[in-house]
Amino acid sequence: MKRRYLIVALGLALCALAAVGAQDRYYATYTAEGSSLRYFYTPDTTDQRIAANTQDGLVEQDRFGRFVPSLAERWEASPDSKVWTFYLRKDVPWVDSKGQKTKYEITADDFVEGFRYVADPKNGIKNLSKDIRRMIVGLNDYYLDLVDFDAGKIKDKTRDQLLGNFAKVGVKALDKYTVQYTLARPTPYFLSFLVMELFLPVEKEFLDSVGENFGISKENLLFSGAYYISDWQRDKQIVLKANPLYWDAKSVTVKTVSLQKIVDPTITLQMFQRGELSSATLTAEQVKALAGTKWADNVFMAEPSTVTYWFVQNFTSANPEFKAFVNNLNFRKALYYGLDRAKLNELDDPYQPAATLRNTVVPEQAAFDEKGKDYADYPEVKAIRDAGNYYDKAKAQDYFRKALAEVTDGKGTIKGVQPATVDWKPIAELKIDGKLPLQMVYVYLPGATETKRAFLFKAMLEDLFGKDNIQVTLAQVIDDIFAEAVEPRRFDMLHDNFRFGFADPSAQLGRLVTKGAVNDGEFSDPEFDKLVDEASQKTVLSERFKIFSKAEALFIDRCYVYPWRMGGASYMLSKVVPFTYPRGGFGITRFKYKGMIVQKDPLTSKQYEELKKAFYEEMNKATAK
Amino acid sequence: MLSYILKRLGQSLITVAIVIITVFLLLRLMPKSGYFTREDYVNMDESARTAYLRSLGVMDDPVTQFVRFAGGVVRGNWGRSISVYPKSPVMTIIKEKAPYSLWFGLAALAISMGLGLTMGVLMARHKDGIFDTFGTLYVTIVRAIPSLIWLFLIQQWVTGWLGWPMVFYEDRPVSWILPTISLALTGIAWYAIWLRRFMVDEENKDYVKFATAKGIPRTRIMRKHVLRNALVPLIQYFPQQVLLTIAGSLLIESIYSIPGMGGLLVNAIRQQDNPLVQALVLLYAVLGIVGVFLGDLLMAAVDPRIKLAGAQGGQE
Repeated sequence: MKRRYLIVALGLALCALAAVGAQDRYYATYTAEGSSLRYFYTPDTTDQRIAANTQDGLVEQDRFGRFVPSLAERWEASPDSKVWTFYLRKDVPWVDSKGQKTKYEITADDFVEGFRYVADPKNGIKNLSKDIRRMIVGLNDYYLDLVDFDAGKIKDKTRDQLLGNFAKVGVKALDKYTVQYTLARPTPYFLSFLVMELFLPVEKEFLDSVGENFGISKENLLFSGAYYISDWQRDKQIVLKANPLYWDAKSVTVKTVSLQKIVDPTITLQMFQRGELSSATLTAEQVKALAGTKWADNVFMAEPSTVTYWFVQNFTSANPEFKAFVNNLNFRKALYYGLDRAKLNELDDPYQPAATLRNTVVPEQAAFDEKGKDYADYPEVKAIRDAGNYYDKAKAQDYFRKALAEVTDGKGTIKGVQPATVDWKPIAELKIDGKLPLQMVYVYLPGATETKRAFLFKAMLEDLFGKDNIQVTLAQVIDDIFAEAVEPRRFDMLHDNFRFGFADPSAQLGRLVTKGAVNDGEFSDPEFDKLVDEASQKTVLSERFKIFSKAEALFIDRCYVYPWRMGGASYMLSKVVPFTYPRGGFGITRFKYKGMIVQKDPLTSKQYEELKKAFYEEMNKATAK
Repeated sequence: MLSYILKRLGQSLITVAIVIITVFLLLRLMPKSGYFTREDYVNMDESARTAYLRSLGVMDDPVTQFVRFAGGVVRGNWGRSISVYPKSPVMTIIKEKAPYSLWFGLAALAISMGLGLTMGVLMARHKDGIFDTFGTLYVTIVRAIPSLIWLFLIQQWVTGWLGWPMVFYEDRPVSWILPTISLALTGIAWYAIWLRRFMVDEENKDYVKFATAKGIPRTRIMRKHVLRNALVPLIQYFPQQVLLTIAGSLLIESIYSIPGMGGLLVNAIRQQDNPLVQALVLLYAVLGIVGVFLGDLLMAAVDPRIKLAGAQGGQE
């Protein structure tokens, strides 16, 4: 116990030390230009970063990832979690691109207006998913009516009449400072949607005045967040300055954020080393190159993201040999134990390949029940998570022998498979003879690491099970694995990754059910579907999580996909004191710079590890109920 | 002359129309799936995807789209970007980015011509001498080694050595130097090698031998006759080079972080940004054709042997 307090004290002391040399400017880079400043449309990280720092929503996540008040100072939910009412702070002004107060105050109408903008198909907001449309009362009908009208299918009404139907959508301003969302089904995790850009406010009169030009430049925007855009030059730089009228101005430690577009990671690293940047993300090659230099002690691995990488197998493959095998559980188990995840991960992280493995589809630190318990700590999934790299050669070969016994006639002929040609041009073309070796097509994206991984994957399976038994054909797509392989069903196995959308296991498990949105393998397991459905009906989070964890354990045990690696977790050089800024697994508020402390000198890896340890101690204490 | 100009104008308009219609039709052959990412397919259903495509204006029939585009161009409205910088007017994007490419390009062109032509003259005058040897070595290095390598080394070493910024900053003139020099390096080699070649060709012609036999000093022959005649074929490309500096350099703008036009067309094609692609192709086609035309006029102006509107109506 004493040791724990010692660690916490050490962490706090380090924070204080860092704060002494705290800088009020933060310099960083981005590699891809954002699409626009129109903050409801944020297809990439640059857009999200700008939106998160220049606009506030009703709630945000704090440095422990908890949902805390933002423009709403408090809220309440109905017992069935279907009606959510938010009470706004009063007298918070919109500011312009000079950081000056405008005549507009942030009110409940602005949140309604924001959603009205998002829900109009003419504004092309891609992120308004079908799940969100069905979540809010009346929204799906409203949206589809407008879609039908624009397609010329509705002729007896005007567009304005249909826009008037927004009154039936469950987003309402009850008074100047109260906004209410009415949901179609119980959604105890609704707050996690509110950290998305879709739920940001917009000022109607201003929006009307700029029309189509909304967000095409900083002058065509108003700001409600911790910063305003003081300079924006397309494909060059974005400068954010602290909003002097921000409701939480005292938490904004860094007063100027300067982001430059630098495409080449080598230049980014050089600029950091010359003191021109506050942080730099490193490639695996750069980490190797820094070994033995004076910078080696400053390299640390940042926190992983909620993105999970997994191998997808095609259960309805047009390759009859693979189809016969993949529908055999023993074959899938053979692959499950036969894939050496740590080895595969060495391509991304040559130093600690086992540190960023993830065996589950739902990430850790992303969904917490009402008692603050992480879903990932529920016993069923914790056991899988704790297994680490579950590569086991003997087990894999044993399962493969069993699979051979079941799928072939014992003389090398695969049961029920006739000779055929599999035409997956332009990706691959195979002559199938219905005999061993099993031919499987592994599809991968171009790029050095993915190509190396494909070769490693092939060698791994062919060495383990023998080339007489399995032959992996490598097939590369040009640049779009979905359009070129998934949609036309031209793959046996592929490598993909998915982000986690909101604070509930259904964000991933709910779309892996039969015909689910990311069920690219087209598997179907009624037992799994039933458990997911059962869990989704529960409104008490711990009850939901208990059933979801059973469903996920079953899903992993039956090897429908092979989750294996976390996203994020990149090596860095940085002067930013970690864990001083908001944290989260989804939405955009995790990109806020609010609270961030930038110290004078680069962090050392030792300092990072100490701060990390202290932070987790602090977080566990803060989030435990 | 007037009839020649009118004829060339007519031909140019037809060429531009063919280029634009071809590009327009090719863009319509691109798969619509290019407008969606993997995540979009997960999030959006069929109706949302169709609605999104309609919001971009790509669901209308090609004739309607073409009339809208052509009508807009005539009225001076080049449309709005749909995927690279959604909703931003194409003209605004070009106005923001073109000056960077133009100014860097013109400065580099001036350096290329100044140094390149000087080097070419010295190489020709001292053929097989020290200038020629070093000049050839320079040209060979610049042309044989992939530019990415030496551009990158220049950026790393020189900025480190002189303590200059690694990338371009508008308010720090010292950061303008390296990108300009980097842009000029290939141009210098191009002017040097071609001028040398044309001058050596001219030197071997009979009129030069005749002038030498008459006792005209070599310097005068070189300046008045050889150089002047050798410049004629180079001058033809000059207007085009000036005008097309607006297209920028993908590589140099990328490594020095210059927000110019380099890479814009490639990006627009990759992201199927039809209005942006169409506008850029139109712009580059017009500038290219005007450049060739001006080159012809310039060549006729400096070389009295060339008549643009002769008996056969073409170059003689």
